[in-house]
Amino acid sequence: MKTLPRFWPNQFYKIILGIVLIGLCLPSLSQTEPLSLPKTINYPGIIETFEKIIEIDRDKNQKKMNMIVQKGGFLPLSIPASDLDLDPDFLNSILLHSDSGYLRLASTNKCRFYEAILTDLLKNGEGKIKNIVMNYFAKGIRQSGFISKKDFLKKIIPEECPETQKNIQVFQVKTIKETIKGLDLKTPRGVDECKSIHSSWIKTSETPFLCQIHEYLKDPSRGEVISKILEQKISKMEKKYIKSLCENLNNEDLFCDEMMSSSFWDQGIEINQNQIFSDEICRKVMNSRELTSLQREVCLDRLKKEPDLCLYTSKESSGLRPQPDCDQLSNALNFSSLKNTLNDCPGKSDQMVVTNMGRILSHFNFKNVLMPQYPCHSSSSFLFYEFNKQFDNDENWGVEACYTDQITGKEICYKTFFSDITGGTDSYAGVVGNILKKTRGLDQSTVCEVINNTDYNPLVLRFKSGCFIIVESNFCHITSCKHKIILNDRLIDFIKIKSKSTIDYFPTDLGHERFSQTYMLNKDFKKSSKKINELADIKKFFKKTNLGLIHGIGCAEDLLPTFFRGYSLNQCSALPFIINGIIKNNEGDKVVLVTRTAVDNLEAPRLISWSSVFSSVRSYQKKHPLKLWTMYALD
Amino acid sequence: MLWINLFFILSLNAAELPAFLTKHSSDTLRYVSYNGRITYLQKKPGLLALVSDFKSTDVLNEKFNNDFRITGSSAKKRLIIESIPNSQSDLNFLKNHEIFVVDYGNSQTRKVGQGKSPKLHLKDEWLSYFDLSKKIIHLQNLITEKKYEIKPTQQLNPFFIPDIQMVNPQSVVYSDVNESGHSAIVSFNLITQNSTILYKSPHKGTKIEICRGEDYLGFGEFPYEGLFRNSQIQLSKTSETQELRGFSMLYESVNGDNGNMICLKDHIYFIKTTDQNSEINHRTTEAAKINLKDQKLEVLSNLKNVSQIIEMDGRVMIPFRGEFYVLEGNSDLREDKLKATPTQEEAPLDI
Repeated sequence: MKTLPRFWPNQFYKIILGIVLIGLCLPSLSQTEPLSLPKTINYPGIIETFEKIIEIDRDKNQKKMNMIVQKGGFLPLSIPASDLDLDPDFLNSILLHSDSGYLRLASTNKCRFYEAILTDLLKNGEGKIKNIVMNYFAKGIRQSGFISKKDFLKKIIPEECPETQKNIQVFQVKTIKETIKGLDLKTPRGVDECKSIHSSWIKTSETPFLCQIHEYLKDPSRGEVISKILEQKISKMEKKYIKSLCENLNNEDLFCDEMMSSSFWDQGIEINQNQIFSDEICRKVMNSRELTSLQREVCLDRLKKEPDLCLYTSKESSGLRPQPDCDQLSNALNFSSLKNTLNDCPGKSDQMVVTNMGRILSHFNFKNVLMPQYPCHSSSSFLFYEFNKQFDNDENWGVEACYTDQITGKEICYKTFFSDITGGTDSYAGVVGNILKKTRGLDQSTVCEVINNTDYNPLVLRFKSGCFIIVESNFCHITSCKHKIILNDRLIDFIKIKSKSTIDYFPTDLGHERFSQTYMLNKDFKKSSKKINELADIKKFFKKTNLGLIHGIGCAEDLLPTFFRGYSLNQCSALPFIINGIIKNNEGDKVVLVTRTAVDNLEAPRLISWSSVFSSVRSYQKKHPLKLWTMYALD
Repeated sequence: MLWINLFFILSLNAAELPAFLTKHSSDTLRYVSYNGRITYLQKKPGLLALVSDFKSTDVLNEKFNNDFRITGSSAKKRLIIESIPNSQSDLNFLKNHEIFVVDYGNSQTRKVGQGKSPKLHLKDEWLSYFDLSKKIIHLQNLITEKKYEIKPTQQLNPFFIPDIQMVNPQSVVYSDVNESGHSAIVSFNLITQNSTILYKSPHKGTKIEICRGEDYLGFGEFPYEGLFRNSQIQLSKTSETQELRGFSMLYESVNGDNGNMICLKDHIYFIKTTDQNSEINHRTTEAAKINLKDQKLEVLSNLKNVSQIIEMDGRVMIPFRGEFYVLEGNSDLREDKLKATPTQEEAPLDI
């Protein structure tokens, strides 16, 4: 750990201390009468010096309070807020007695300072600040007076910090649960993103209120009833996040250390976007198709204690296995920024170009519509098909449903992809329905339902009428799918599937460059594309953005050598992959990349060294017909 | 079963390895005999040719930009050719490859099946391959055409291909994985159709490799990517007539080695992890060999990231970023020489 002990004065604290010392030692800068120093001062060490400083501060403030009380005490309410300033001695006292993290928060701007006073984060010589000392000019003379926190809130805040008032409203006990749910307690993906999140929290108006919650939870004696209510209303994950933030406001490194070392599985309980990853694993662990929140909690707890639970997960997702163990998955998922919410069954993919492209398009939110669910790889097919269709490249797609027209005797074919959605697309369920409407007079309102063969029972009344596409899911892939069509309890066998599954990911000949997926991503989808052939390029890219990703093709024999054995000369099995995170070891001399190959499950990224990734792309370049380099960053 | 733990001397003074040099462009090479006189080349996608005696003969001319892979064995009687259509645009690890057999140094091919990871056994009289779509091991006698099928139990990994090794004409051993993820070695008797488990791993997440040397059968257990387990190699003496008589430990390591074993008469080559960082799953891997006579372990490379080693007609090489580095055998085959009297190995087959 490179950080200093928590109690050690950091750079910021030293600056603050400097200000305090200037305020105390150069009394001529202060507006009040100069204080006389004690007759003898010894400075044997820093501790005693601090004691002296505190003593001086206490004396000074006591005298000031006496003087203010003698002169009348409270501020006249007639003075406009804009004519009031905080008293420098009062300010010095706060700087001396408050937590350095809260001081950093308070020092970002005037409103954060006021909020930190209102939420009792800042302290003066008396401890909790009861009254605020402010200065004003009356008849050309500088005067001082108290204002209670209640009056401060009524008089100063509405004029100076309107946002603070809104926050006070939403951080009430009644609304606190919803307010915190609405905040983006985002777990960072990588250190750079973490530092940026920390920096934005420091400036945000909600932070003082969050830290007030933390103080109540940390020290229930502040208000036992409120502490109990907060305990119930705020989740474990939220408490952990707020604690980490409020205790490390002046130390982004410590905040990021805590964030990045926390288990990914802790996030699974709270954050919906992460549930896809943990749920896939937990369904198998708990042996339940639908998880209750209790089951989820039990499972996530087990994942932290039993790393081997992640090696072999549910059969439905069926990607390459064994997956990394839960500890390594947690590490990889903590640094992964791939946005994806659908399981795409890479183990059923007979065209990995479609799988990889589906993941890229989903990450860049290509179609923000309801995705098909069944068969489980249909989300990739749908996105790929729509992407190619949108950019006039549907010729790339070689799957067609064909039948012979009885009148003309000609074969009629429709482009299609295997999926259960029926309306407005070229989904197989929709295409079969349309063919049956033309050839068998199927009712316009009837839709063909796609079901798994294990769910089909011809004896059940429900299957006696209507249109059903019964899929053998073990043999249903992206470009071919074993199935039968049943219409009103009769087999339909005149609809045939024609399938051609060749698709260029990178161009394989110059004449057809236009039809490659990388060309379309770059030229039509307008994603900027940068060649990546050095580790420095990757570091720079992920420092610049956490929304982009790196994609490419490499030889499986180099990328995953323990899974794919090489046994002949120039053997290279082309394997598309996506990289969306980078992790360094503690010493910073070794780097691994968070990588999902097209055979890996979405929830199971692997940590692969840069050296292996480079070797795989370099070997593939040798095999590529145009000797292309095939690794690019997209954003 | 005899278990022996041996201590090895680790040599880290790996010399710079010679590159494999031939008269042909390295990316066209598919198989080169030990003396360099027989070379199979992929002239262009879909066209496989044999270059021998200063002549070039087409071996396979396929329509779909096919890529070819060729493997042989120490018996040097036959070679196996895998033909993969549209290898650049049909990216599908579930599809089977066309499998052909050709007599060693010849151009007349014979299609024998569809599957992956074909392997020759028992003086090249037997062929095994795995049908990845039906998940069936095929065994075929190339002389009698007799065929056998074995169905492994493994269902956890759709891309799993078992390692297969014939012990004798009646018996075959293969690697398998049970429902909970434990790897095992299964012995299958082709006559009785009975199977026996010879070894079952106590850990989940390891792979088992099986290879055969002149008079022994070796198996290695190594962890898969991303897992940190011990590695080990064990041996068992074999004979044409007898069943396996138990394994003895040859090598053990606490590091998770990559494996990819190659068994030769006196040595076992494999990929060893020389440094690992379990915090971020970073490994430094090198080619290593164990001398079977004195059990000495030697690290042979200094490339930091060796992922594969291959054996081709007795020559052991590291494919590394498009180049080949020779670990065993001569490396420079650029010189032209007139062909001498054929050796016994190169003589036509007498079948």
